[in-house]
Amino acid sequence: MVGDSEERREREEELGRGGDVRLVVPAAPEYLRLVRLTAAGLASRLGFTFDEVEDLRIAVDELCFHLLGDVDDPDPSGEPRTMDLVYSAGADFIAISGRTSRTGDVAEPSELSEQILDALVDEHEVSGSNGTVTFRLRKQRES
Amino acid sequence: MAFEATDRHELRSKLEQYAETGDKALRDEIVASQVGLAEYLARRFKNRGEPIEDLIQVALLGLLKAVERFDPSRGLEFSTFATPTIVGELKRHFRDKGWAVRVPRRVQELHLRMGTVVNSLSQELGRSPTIPEIAQRAEVSVDEVLEAMEAGRAYRFSSIDAPAGEDEDRAASPAATQLGEDDTGLEEVEQRMLLSPLIASLPKREQMIIHLRFFRGMTQSEIAARLGISQMHVSRLLARSLAQLRDRAGAEAAPS
Repeated sequence: MVGDSEERREREEELGRGGDVRLVVPAAPEYLRLVRLTAAGLASRLGFTFDEVEDLRIAVDELCFHLLGDVDDPDPSGEPRTMDLVYSAGADFIAISGRTSRTGDVAEPSELSEQILDALVDEHEVSGSNGTVTFRLRKQRES
Repeated sequence: MAFEATDRHELRSKLEQYAETGDKALRDEIVASQVGLAEYLARRFKNRGEPIEDLIQVALLGLLKAVERFDPSRGLEFSTFATPTIVGELKRHFRDKGWAVRVPRRVQELHLRMGTVVNSLSQELGRSPTIPEIAQRAEVSVDEVLEAMEAGRAYRFSSIDAPAGEDEDRAASPAATQLGEDDTGLEEVEQRMLLSPLIASLPKREQMIIHLRFFRGMTQSEIAARLGISQMHVSRLLARSLAQLRDRAGAEAAPS
């Protein structure tokens, strides 16, 4: 059993270091819960505090809003749209990127939204081009 | 709440005057005088999984709508007219914005308990606790803590406190929904908030929270301590405020 737990610890360290988690969900508000939960789950493994996890969840919400767009707005191919998220866990940070295929206009993030995200995470960016909208964020653990 | 005949008379004449002039200050005065009715009706919906403060705000919104729509020439008592309007608003709140995800009772209970746990751990540690620390103290798993954090947001937040009308009515909402305690910093906040009409459309306490969090960089725990409410409550109000701001920003950006 000693071997088992050691193996598990190694695996966890590996995850903590660089293992990516990918999540693909329909681009609908109902699925934001899963998106947040995954972020919170990873962040808590990295030792983020309650406050930091809360910040991360709000930031993820805020950024995913840009992917959601108009819910009825279909994928260019006509399929229901999805949001593709990649969570990367570093030793003391988490980075999340998201993308969706979307034809509608991409709203410029408002000044308020920028300000809010500045307060919540260390880096954030939203961009859209050629029918694809992407975002990325990075949040460092404090201590 | 039995009204004296003179009160009733006074209310009627104010309503008549408002119907004629559309004077916002007068409307706010009428709303303020009827807060008791809104609170009374809100309490009838308590214990259904929504915090009473939220219900009161919804009821106040209903009250505001009632004042705006009341037609004195029809000869109805105001309370007769307002009651179904307010109850309708509350019911709509449960229907439209009710629990989007069914939250199991044990998760709801843990969510409530976590408020206390987070507060006491924060005080003992002098910092925000980590999730495993919370789990250990609450004697549950990390996953359960995460689930309970989500539970605070399980209902769909929307423009719960949205004023009845659009921009021109914005000023009405804070006055009608100012339930929170007065804060000396508020005037200063208001000054800054002029920068953002969207924020100004939120209830005062939520404006305060947004300001402290995003403009002053305080943490949720610090805000909770400062305002004397639980950290979980700050979290919930913050999330709700942001959802509302987003809704409205979206509405303003829409071409139609």
